[in-house]
Amino acid sequence: MKKITDLIKEKRVYFDGGTGTILQEMGLPAGQPPELWNITCPEKIINLHRSYLNAGCNIIKTNTFGINADKFSNYEELIRAGIDCAKKAVDNQYEKYVAFDMGPTGKLLEPLGELKFEDAVDLFAKNVRAAADCGADLVLIETMNDSYETKAAVLAVKENCNLPVFVTNVYDASGKLMTGADPAAMIAMLEGLGVDALGMNCSLGPDIMLGIIGEFQKYSSTPVIVNPNAGLPEVIDGKTVYNIGSEDFSDYMIQLAQNGASILGGCCGTTPEFIQKTIKKTQDLPYVLPSEKDLTMVSSYTHSVIVENDPILIGERINPTGKPKLKEALKTNNLNYVLNEAIKQSEAGVHILDVNVGLPEINETEMMIKCISAIQAVSDLPLQIDTTNFETLEKAMRMYNGKPLVNSVNGTEDSMNHVLPIVQRYGGSLIALTIDEKGIPDNAKDRAKIAAKIMKRAADFGIRKKEIIVDPLALTISSNPESAIVTLESVKLIRQMGLKTSLGISNISFGLPQREIVTSTFYANALQSGLNCAIMNPFSAAMMNTYYAYRALNMLDNGCVDYINYASNDKNNHHTPSAEKPSEGSQNLHTGIVKGLKESAVACTKALLKTTEPLDVINNHIIPALNEIGTAFEQKKAYLPQLLMSAEAASASFEEVKKKISVEQSDKSKSIVLATVKGDIHDIGKNIVKVLMESYGFTVYDLGRDVSPEKIAECAVSNHCNLVGLSALMTTTVPSMAETIELLNKTDKNIKVLVGGAVLNQEYADMIGADFYGADAMDSVRYAESFYQNQ
Amino acid sequence: MKYNDVTILTANTRDIIINKNELAARLKVSRNFENDLVTLCTDRLMDVITYKCAYIKTSIDLSQINQCDFGFMDVVSRNLYQNLLGCHQAFVMAVTTGIGVDRLLAKLNVTSQAEHFITDAVSSAAVESFCDYASNILQTEYNCRPRFSPGYGDVSLKTQKPLLDRLNASELLGITLNHSYLMTPVKSITAIMGVQS
Repeated sequence: MKKITDLIKEKRVYFDGGTGTILQEMGLPAGQPPELWNITCPEKIINLHRSYLNAGCNIIKTNTFGINADKFSNYEELIRAGIDCAKKAVDNQYEKYVAFDMGPTGKLLEPLGELKFEDAVDLFAKNVRAAADCGADLVLIETMNDSYETKAAVLAVKENCNLPVFVTNVYDASGKLMTGADPAAMIAMLEGLGVDALGMNCSLGPDIMLGIIGEFQKYSSTPVIVNPNAGLPEVIDGKTVYNIGSEDFSDYMIQLAQNGASILGGCCGTTPEFIQKTIKKTQDLPYVLPSEKDLTMVSSYTHSVIVENDPILIGERINPTGKPKLKEALKTNNLNYVLNEAIKQSEAGVHILDVNVGLPEINETEMMIKCISAIQAVSDLPLQIDTTNFETLEKAMRMYNGKPLVNSVNGTEDSMNHVLPIVQRYGGSLIALTIDEKGIPDNAKDRAKIAAKIMKRAADFGIRKKEIIVDPLALTISSNPESAIVTLESVKLIRQMGLKTSLGISNISFGLPQREIVTSTFYANALQSGLNCAIMNPFSAAMMNTYYAYRALNMLDNGCVDYINYASNDKNNHHTPSAEKPSEGSQNLHTGIVKGLKESAVACTKALLKTTEPLDVINNHIIPALNEIGTAFEQKKAYLPQLLMSAEAASASFEEVKKKISVEQSDKSKSIVLATVKGDIHDIGKNIVKVLMESYGFTVYDLGRDVSPEKIAECAVSNHCNLVGLSALMTTTVPSMAETIELLNKTDKNIKVLVGGAVLNQEYADMIGADFYGADAMDSVRYAESFYQNQ
Repeated sequence: MKYNDVTILTANTRDIIINKNELAARLKVSRNFENDLVTLCTDRLMDVITYKCAYIKTSIDLSQINQCDFGFMDVVSRNLYQNLLGCHQAFVMAVTTGIGVDRLLAKLNVTSQAEHFITDAVSSAAVESFCDYASNILQTEYNCRPRFSPGYGDVSLKTQKPLLDRLNASELLGITLNHSYLMTPVKSITAIMGVQS
């Protein structure tokens, strides 16, 4: 028999419809999993399949939607029985196929949920392995409302069988998955992973899907599946009724077919009658497969970024080269610093974030994975995975939620042989550097030749030309005077070859004073030469000026709206904010902190530092202001939100002061280790204490939440820190706090432990041997201050 | 299993008036407290909230003392039994503000503890207010008992599992449970409301 993947190239094929309603009518009690019937009453399941086959559908979905190893210990038996029912119904009929059906796990993946990505892959893989040899013709992954879980399921299929894989997701009326992805983001990721068909099912009726199908038509080069519900359910007199009948349903399906849906079927509420009418009305419509879209797309878990005429900004700030603060943050595992850089760059307007964490002292693979996971919790921008370590690249591409940009492959055999298979497996667009074993050619023609070589080799791996973005390499003009000219010529030449281009733009001015002037002018030249992407510093006003001006000048910014927004934003022009008037610095710093005005506090601190010694700013201005608000809080004249705002303003001010303090002056002696104890995941209280401690100038070693006693003791010892603050919010974790204190006492009797958290009180604290009970954050700071004063 | 008898109820973000007392309690401030940052955090939060409620009306069997049989789950509890006594039906519901709130909170946890604290408080008050709004709609035709949620009194948090499964909440609302039976999105509520005969 013809393979299903061949059949869909020739003609429109049809899925079956809903099962839940029909099985309930057959007597399935509410609350009982329908999959049990695969074993207990297989004849009913077979009959259900037959009724759809008789209606004319080509593919039936096995009754295995809710099965996984976590829910059913006999999952293998249930799966085998489910496929067996479907096989018996199909009975080798011509152009009839069995789709092994996999639904979602019902759990949310990390970082927001707790299911680890690899555990999700394992869970699906168990299903796939159970199904692999039972004779299904394809795997259908359906009703997925999260892009990450969808990726886990697709990888599980690809890695455990050779069956074709079809995927349908659940979109809501706004055209997005529950966790935020739009069709373009899903298409980019799923095509990258090499699925055979993709589309939408469930949730909505065909009327609303008609509003979304255009997105698939626009972006998908892969056949599109549409399996809608029979409209929306309403419960009338205790019975569920769907609001679209079979006649209207099949009329809508005509329009869906005319707008690019290749494979049609139904979901909840549809019956064989719906499918029969749909087939009758659509089978003679002209069948057109989706065209190959020439789009270079990368994606995150919410949206895609398409590299075309409109310039793309790739933020370069998460790369330790030449950035001592980031280096330090990576070495000390300070992810917060990295996340702040990610958030600030996305707020500055970049489209993609470059992530490079390569440092000789750290495990790059571990750090890359940690950073990607953490960044994807706080930023929805697509990421550019930037590494020369092939193992790091492989692991990072695998766990990335979306379709990443890969930085980079080059023209050496070693690089192509390693990078291209990884990109083939996981899907990604690819930065290709024009360098090979002989180095970087000194002329545009030879750089273009390397680009052509990489393109050809990528094609051998099934990686399309559109996925390749060539970086012809900008070298500094301070040592290579002809560099800018050759690079610009290369950009033009490579664009003529129909390839996209990218440049690490800042390199051009390395070694020169006032680099921004040269870099931004070079950027303007490169854009004019056809450059698509720039890896750049979005905090450089000169660069952003060029970007916005170029778009306005080249009709890429309709009505100059973006330019006007940019140019009228105070942060982007050179007016002095009123708070920065030096004469008012002192008074305003105090007010700024007490009122919790962060920006004003920073501006005032800068002004004050021009005339005042750094330590005096701390002792005579910041601390008194903090004490004022702290006292007001203790006297219930100010509230917790205000205390927090003041603490943040003070911290921001303190950061400014620190810039002026030489290393010797810095007060390293006041430090504290903070942690939420093992088993407890609440960290809001601990974080409040941290902010306040930092604002009082303490060095805080924040170990996060769910921290083992050993880790806390180790941190205190290795940092010679004799003060530890522990937090717990759940009664169940108080024993874990007691255990931690016991270990700390054993480790070093000089270590003092202060405890706090919603479940604690003085009595509890005494019972578990704490040195101090902090009733609130301010209380804890006062104790910490007195601890160091008495030393 | 996809149950088809679950009804979905939504509301425009701006149509839900956040209960002022609830908000003040969550912020740990007095009722007349006003602050620019609270306003800013509230406005930003409103852009990411998607209110959704899923509910069913189901028969309950209270013939065994301290045992509430919902057909799809049996809850052994004195408190819930007392609450439902005299009812033959109950609404079983779940509401959420959506995963966008979790993402915003994760981001603020990095950038500002003050904004994180405030946004956390406002979103807690928001989900409570939406739950009130949804319960009021359900009560227009029926005389209902006060809302009762798993975790109150002697009703185990584990009740969340069959309750959410029955409502198909993972698919319809995006609500999932972790190993401690806590929900994601974090600002979600499950509840049972007895319908008085």
